[in-house]
Amino acid sequence: MTDITIIHKPLWQLFKIFVPAVALLWAAAAWLRRRAYQRSTPGEEPDWSIPPLPQAGAVSLLHRWDVRVKIITILSYSFMIAALRHPAPAVAAIIVSLLVVAVAKTPPAKVLLRLLAISGFLGMFLVVMPLSIPDRSGDTVLIFNGWSWLGFNLRGLQLAATIAAKAVAITLLMEPLIATAPLPVTLYGLARLGAPDLIGQMVLLSYRYLHVFRHEARRMSAGMQVRGFRKRSNLQTLRAVANFLGMLFVRSFERTERVFDAMRARGHRGRFPEPAPLHLRGTDLILMAAWLAVGVMLISYDRFGY
Amino acid sequence: MHESMEILEQPALSAPLFRCRGLGYQYPNGPQALDHIDLDIAAGDRLALVGQNGSGKTTLIKLLCGLLSPAAGQLLYNGRPLEGDHLERNRLKIGLLFQDPDDQLFGHTLIEDVAFGPRNQGLNAERAETVARQALMKVSLAEKAYQEPHHLSFGQKKRAALAGLLAMQPDVLLLDEPTANLDPNQEQVFLDLLQNFKGTLICISHDLIFLYELCDRAVVLDCGRIQHDYTVRHLVAQPSALRSHGLDFSFRLVVTADSDSAPSTSAPSCAPLAPNPAAQPDLVDLRQFSYRYPDGTLALDGIDLTMVEGERIAMVGENGAGKTTLLACLLGLRQGHGQFHFRGKPVTRGQRHGLWRQVGLVFQDCADQLFCPTVAEEVSFGLHQLGLPDAEIDRRLVQSLERVHLSGFEQRVPLHMSGGERKRLALACVLAMQPRLLILDEPTAGLDPQGEELLLSILKDLEGTLLIVSHDMFFVRELTCRTIVLHQGRILEDMPTHSFLQDRRLGNLNGLAYSFRQRGSDAIRLLQHEHEYLHEHHHVHGHPHAAADQDHPHAHGHVHRHRYFHSHPGQEQPHEHAPRRIHPQEMHDHGDDAEKP
Repeated sequence: MTDITIIHKPLWQLFKIFVPAVALLWAAAAWLRRRAYQRSTPGEEPDWSIPPLPQAGAVSLLHRWDVRVKIITILSYSFMIAALRHPAPAVAAIIVSLLVVAVAKTPPAKVLLRLLAISGFLGMFLVVMPLSIPDRSGDTVLIFNGWSWLGFNLRGLQLAATIAAKAVAITLLMEPLIATAPLPVTLYGLARLGAPDLIGQMVLLSYRYLHVFRHEARRMSAGMQVRGFRKRSNLQTLRAVANFLGMLFVRSFERTERVFDAMRARGHRGRFPEPAPLHLRGTDLILMAAWLAVGVMLISYDRFGY
Repeated sequence: MHESMEILEQPALSAPLFRCRGLGYQYPNGPQALDHIDLDIAAGDRLALVGQNGSGKTTLIKLLCGLLSPAAGQLLYNGRPLEGDHLERNRLKIGLLFQDPDDQLFGHTLIEDVAFGPRNQGLNAERAETVARQALMKVSLAEKAYQEPHHLSFGQKKRAALAGLLAMQPDVLLLDEPTANLDPNQEQVFLDLLQNFKGTLICISHDLIFLYELCDRAVVLDCGRIQHDYTVRHLVAQPSALRSHGLDFSFRLVVTADSDSAPSTSAPSCAPLAPNPAAQPDLVDLRQFSYRYPDGTLALDGIDLTMVEGERIAMVGENGAGKTTLLACLLGLRQGHGQFHFRGKPVTRGQRHGLWRQVGLVFQDCADQLFCPTVAEEVSFGLHQLGLPDAEIDRRLVQSLERVHLSGFEQRVPLHMSGGERKRLALACVLAMQPRLLILDEPTAGLDPQGEELLLSILKDLEGTLLIVSHDMFFVRELTCRTIVLHQGRILEDMPTHSFLQDRRLGNLNGLAYSFRQRGSDAIRLLQHEHEYLHEHHHVHGHPHAAADQDHPHAHGHVHRHRYFHSHPGQEQPHEHAPRRIHPQEMHDHGDDAEKP
C-alpha cells in the first residue's frame, strides 16, 4: 500500500470534477434522447405496401450477408471485444463498430436509442467504480477534504472507462446484427445454427406482444391513477402493486392461451413456416474471415501493444 | 303461440356440414358450458348464435373448429367425427375470427401474418404471399402489407385478422363478436365483407341488427342449451321471446342516427339549466386548449369547451379524433397547453394530479380498472385513496353496489364476473368516490342487450354532470342533451343532441353513418308488428285439379303462413289477430295440396 500515490484536494475540487462531468453526461443523454426521438418519428407515412428492407436488392453489405454467418461473426467478434483489457484497443473497437454502423446504413436514431438505454448503467459504473475499487500498489487516489473514505481511484476510472468503451462498441453492433434482416429471418438463422426452435418462437411472439402488454399495463396504470393511486412507501402501495402485477400476469396468461388457440385454428403444429430460404455463398465466408481478423488484430494490440 | 314457427322455419337439411348430437362440454373445475346440443348446420348456412354472456356460444364455436374436444356426444363434420386426421385436414377449412384481433395477429408484419395460414396449408412462400396480398386487398389493407400489426388501428386490425382467414379460402367462417368496439363506418365495411363471403357462416354477436343484416338462421343458447332454432326474422320479431333470453334489444329500435321519428319519450329532460344566482363557476372551462404528443403529433387544437354542473353531454367523433386525449387531459393524466379551469380554479401542472378527486372515468374496457381480488376491495380502493374513515367507506360501498344492482356481490372475484357485471362494478367504483364529473368511455362496449338495458336504467337515474364518449347513438340520445363533435383534434360542433341526431352531414363526417342500422331497425320494427303465423284451416276458393281439367271452388284444409297486422296493447298482453287478417293470394302456395279434394 506504500506505493499508492495520494493526492489531497479540497472538497470544491470534487464538485469541480463531478458536476461538469455529470452535467455534461446528462445534457448529452437529453440531447441524444431528443434527437433519437425526433429521428425515429417519421415525417411521412412510409409506403408499407413494399418491404421496408428489400431483401432482393439489399441496401448494404450486411443486408446481403447470410444471416447465419452474420450471427456467428458478430457474436464471435463481440466476445473478442469483451476480452479487451485496455482503453486504447477498446476505443479502437468503437471506431470499428462505428464503421460497421456506417456500412450497414442502419438508422442513426435507432443506434442512439440503444446507446441511451445503456447510458445510465455506464454512468453508474463511471461514478461508482473509482470510489469502490480496492486500492493496489501503483494506484493514484484523490482524497477530498481529507476524507480518506472518499478516495477516488484513477485506476478504477480507467477500468470503468474501458468497460464502458467495450459496452458501447458491442452495443453499436447490435443494430447491424438485428436490423439488417427481419427478426423472423434472424431467429430462423439462429435456429438453423442449432438454437432450440422454441426459443426463437418465444422471442418472436414476445417481441410482437411486448407492445400489447405494455399498452395493457399503461391502461391499467391509468385506471389506478384516476382512482387516486400514487406510489408511496407503505403497505397499501405494495398491495396495490402486487394486485396490479397479478392481474397483468393473469391477463397476459389468458391472452397467451387465446393466441395459441388462434395459431392452432390456422393450422399451427408447433413450427413456424420458414420465412425465407437461406443461401451460403463464398463472399459470406470471406467477409466473416476478414471481420474476425480485425478482432484478432485488436486482441493482439491489446495483449502485445502495451 | 310462436312455437309452431320453429317447426316451419327449421331449414331442411339433406346432408349437414356439421351435425351435433348430444354435444356437451365442461371446463376443468368449471361449470357445464354446453349440455346436450343437437344441431345441424348445412353448407351455406348463415347462422347467428345468440345468447347472454356465459350461455356457451364461444365454447360451441371452439368445438366446431376443433379447438376443444367434446366431453359428451358427437360432433360430425362432413359426416365424420371431427377428430384425429379428419380434424387436422379440415381445420384449415374452418376459420375462426376472435373477438380481440390482437389475439390473432401474431405475425411480425401484416403480410407475414396473413400468409401464416396459407403456408400451413402447404403453399410455398411466393404463392402464400400472393394469396395474402389478395386477401389484404379484399379488406382494403394492401397498402399496409409490411406494417407491424401493433401500428394499426383497431378496425384495421380486425380487418387484417379477417384477411388472415380469407386467405385460407375457408369453407366455414366462425365469427366471435365481429363488430365489437368498431365504429359504425367500420361495422359497415365488415358487414359488406361478410355478406360477400360465399361459404358457411356462423356468427356470435349481441348486435341483433347486425345479425339481421348478415344471417338467415338464429340459434338461441341459454345456460349451455339450445332454446330456439329459427330464422333471424322470427327471432327479432318476438320481443317477448327475446326478453325471456335476455336478448331484447327492442328498446334500441326507437332511434337511429338518421331517424326522423319523434324524440324518445324516455330521453332526458333537456330544459335549460336554471341560472345560478350565486354565479357558481363552470365545472370545466377550457380555452384555446391544445395537446401535442411527445413525437410532435398535434392531438388537440384550440379546444374551447365549457361544462356546467348538472349537464349531460355526449362527445362523438371518428377514431383518432382526439376524444381519448381530451379525456386524459380532463382527468389530469396529460398536461396540455391553454387555459383549463375546474370549478373556477386554474388547473396547473401541479394541481392536475388532484383532479381524480372530482373527475371519475369508467373505461371502455373495464378490465383496465379492475385489479383487486374482491368486489369490496375494488370499490374501497379509491375510497381509501381519498382517506375516508372506515365507517364512511363501508356506507359508500353498500350504497354504490346497491345503485348498480350488485348488492351481495361484495366477496365475489371481479375477474370471474360477467361483462355486464364488471361494467357495473367499474361504475360502482367510480360512483362511490362521488365525482363531480362522471365520464363514461363507450359504456355499451361488449355488453349484451340485457346488460345494456340495465346500464341504461342506472345511468338515467344518476344525478350530476355526465360526459359520455360513445359511437352508440341510442345511448347518446337517451342520456344526453348536448353533443360535442370532435374532428381531427378540434371541436367541430357543439349543439343540442336532438339537432345532432338529425344532422346527416355530421354523421357521415364522423363515421357515424347508420345506413344499415337504419334499414335494419326499420325492418325489425315492422316485423315486430307483423307476426307471421302458421296454422291449419279451411279455405273456399278455386285452383286447378290435375285429375280433372277444371277449376272450381271448394273447401279444403292445408297448412300455410298467414300474416297479421295489429297493434300491441302492451308487452305480454293478449291481442286479437283474426279481425284484421290479411290473406294475400300470393301466399297461398298450394303445392302438393293441389291434389287434395
